[in-house]
Amino acid sequence: MTSQQPVFRLEGVSKSYGSVTALRDITLSVNGNEYISVLGPSGSGKSVLLRVIAGFDVPDSGRVVLEGRDITDVPAYERGIGFVFQNFALFPHLTVFENVAFGLRNGKVPVAAPDVEQRVKDMISLVGLAGMEGRGVHQISGGQKQRVALARTLVMAPRLVLLDEPLGALDANLRHRMRNELRAIREKLGVTFMHVTGSETEALAMGDRVVVLDHGRIAQFARPDQVYGQPATPSVAHFLNRYNIFEGELSGKRFTGPFGMIDAASVTPADKPACAIRYDRMKVEEEGAPGEGPAISASFVASEYLGSSVMYFFEAADGRVIEVEHHLSLGQPQSFEPKRRYRLRWKPEDAIVFGRG
Amino acid sequence: MSGTAVRQAPQQKSRSSAPWLIAPGVLWMLVFLVTPILLIVYVSFWTQTTFKIEPTLTLQSWKAFFGSDTYLNSLWTTVRIWLIVLASTFIIGYPTALFVGLFVKNKTLSTVLLVICVIPFWTSFLIRVLAWRPMLGKEGAINILLQKFGIISQPIEALLFTELSVIIGMTQIYVVFMVGPIAFMLGRIDPNIIEAARDLGAGFGRIFWKIIFPLSLPGVVVGAIFVSVMVLGEFATAAALSGRKVNLLGNIIVTQVGSLKWALASVVGVILTIVMGLVIAGFLRIVDLKREL
Repeated sequence: MTSQQPVFRLEGVSKSYGSVTALRDITLSVNGNEYISVLGPSGSGKSVLLRVIAGFDVPDSGRVVLEGRDITDVPAYERGIGFVFQNFALFPHLTVFENVAFGLRNGKVPVAAPDVEQRVKDMISLVGLAGMEGRGVHQISGGQKQRVALARTLVMAPRLVLLDEPLGALDANLRHRMRNELRAIREKLGVTFMHVTGSETEALAMGDRVVVLDHGRIAQFARPDQVYGQPATPSVAHFLNRYNIFEGELSGKRFTGPFGMIDAASVTPADKPACAIRYDRMKVEEEGAPGEGPAISASFVASEYLGSSVMYFFEAADGRVIEVEHHLSLGQPQSFEPKRRYRLRWKPEDAIVFGRG
Repeated sequence: MSGTAVRQAPQQKSRSSAPWLIAPGVLWMLVFLVTPILLIVYVSFWTQTTFKIEPTLTLQSWKAFFGSDTYLNSLWTTVRIWLIVLASTFIIGYPTALFVGLFVKNKTLSTVLLVICVIPFWTSFLIRVLAWRPMLGKEGAINILLQKFGIISQPIEALLFTELSVIIGMTQIYVVFMVGPIAFMLGRIDPNIIEAARDLGAGFGRIFWKIIFPLSLPGVVVGAIFVSVMVLGEFATAAALSGRKVNLLGNIIVTQVGSLKWALASVVGVILTIVMGLVIAGFLRIVDLKREL
C-alpha cells in the first residue's frame, strides 16, 4: 500500500441537528497508512464528523467515499470502519478475550472458531495484553481497557479506525504513554487512524496531519508544524493556545491594533482582521528601555513555572491578558514586579497578520 | 488474645464503637424475625388435640402433613402456580421493561411510564383482586365482549373460579415487580456499548442475547425474587378467584389457624419458609448481585 493513495474522502458533507449546523461542506481526503488528528473545541462538530464517517449518523448532503466506494448509505457495520469510543464501551460482562472476539463471533461474516482464537490471541499480544485474556474488564486498569477497546476494533481488520477522544478518560501520566503506544500500534498495522481530540498538544504530537475544525468547517488541514507555525485563521491560532491574538483594523498591509500600527510582510486571508504572536516570540523589556520594532505595554500579573519554561501573564491597558513564554534553555527566568508596567516586544516577522488581503 | 484486645481498645475507640451502629437492626431482626421463626419451628413439634395444644414434643403434625394427599397436593399446586406466574410475569414484564428502559430514550418519559405501571397500586389489594370477578365471570366483561364480536356463542365458564383465574389475577398484580428491576438495569446500559456491538457487525438478535439480556439478568433475578416471595406466600388471590378450588400452602395456614390448629399451621409455615429459602438461594446463584448492583 502506498501512503499517497487516498484511502478515504469526504465530499461536501453537511449535517444539521434541527437549527444547529454541526458540519458545513466538509471536503477532506485522507491517505492510507496515515495518522490524522482532528482538533476542535467542544461544539466544533468533531464528534459529529466521526459519527458521520462511522455511519452512526447520515449526512444531510455530500458523499462519504472509502477506497473509491461510495459508502454514504452503507450501514455502519458494513463499512469496514472501526470505532473506538471515548469511554471505551467495553462489554462489562465479558472477559478481555470475549470482548476482543465479539465482532468475529457475532459479526455478519462468521469466522471459524480456531481462526477466532488465533486472531484474537495475536491482537491481544499486539496491544500488549498477553496473559490477560481471562480477566474481566472490571479487573483491569484504564490503560488496559483502552488497549482492549483498540484490540476489539482492530481485530476486525478495518480499513480506517476512528478514535473519539481515546485518551480523554485516562489520567495525565497514562495519556502520555498511550500516545506513543497508539502510534506504535498503528505503524505496525499500517492502517489509517483518525483521532478526534480537544487537546492541541495531543493533536500536534500524534497526527501526521492535523484537521482543525471551527464551527463545523475545516479551518486548516496540514502537517502539525505548519498548523503550529502558520495557523490559517485567528481561530486556529486561538485553539493552539500558543498565540496572543490582537484584533484591529487592516488597510492594505498596515495593521492597526492596540499596540499601534505595524507593517505586515504578508496577510493571511481570513474573515476578520487580527494579529497573532506566539507566546514564546515575545520578549519582556523594562518600560522606557531603548528598543526597535513593535511592542505593547502591559502590567505584570503573575508567573507560572512549567519545568522547561516559565509563563508570564501580563494585563494590557484594555484588560486583555497577554501571555509570554520564556524557555529556560535560553537563560534564567526573569523576575518582575507585580502591577508594574513593562514593554512586550516582538520581531515584525513573528507577527502573523490575518485579514481580507 | 483478649488481653491485647483490651489494651488496643482505647486507641480504636471509633472503630470499636462502630458495631453498636448495627445493634438496633440486629435487635429488630432477633425480636421480629429470628425468634418467631424459631418459635414456629418449635410449635410445629407440639402435641395438638382438638381443642388444646401442649408443649409435649411429637412428630404427629409433620406425619399428618406428609401423610395427607390434600396437603401434599397443595404443596405441588403452590409450586406449580408459582412457576406459571413467574413465567407469565417474565414473559409480559420483560418486553415491557425493554420498551420502558431501553427503547424510550427520554428519561422523563420512561419515569412517567414506570409510574403508570404502579397506578393500580393506588387502590387496595383486595379491590384489585375482586375486580377480576366482574371481568372474568360467566356474564363478565370478557365474555360479553367475545360474544358481541361473535367470537364465541356460549360464555366461557372456565375463566372464573379456576386455576386460570388465579394465575391471571396474580400475574396482573405482580407483573410490575418484574418490570421495575429489569427496566432499571436496562436503563443503566451505556448506549455506546450497544452502538459498539452494532459497529462490530452484530445484528439485533445477537446484540440482545449476547449483550442486553446478560446485562439485564440482575434485574430479572431481583424481579423474580420479588414475585416468588409474594406468590409463594399468597392466599388472598387464590381464595377470592378460585372459589376455594385452588388451595395454596398459604390457604392451608389460614384455615388451620382459623380452627386453632397451631401445630399443623406451623408445619406448613416451616415448609413454606424452607421452599422460599431454597428459591431465593437458587436465584442468587444465577448472578452475583453484590457485584452487579
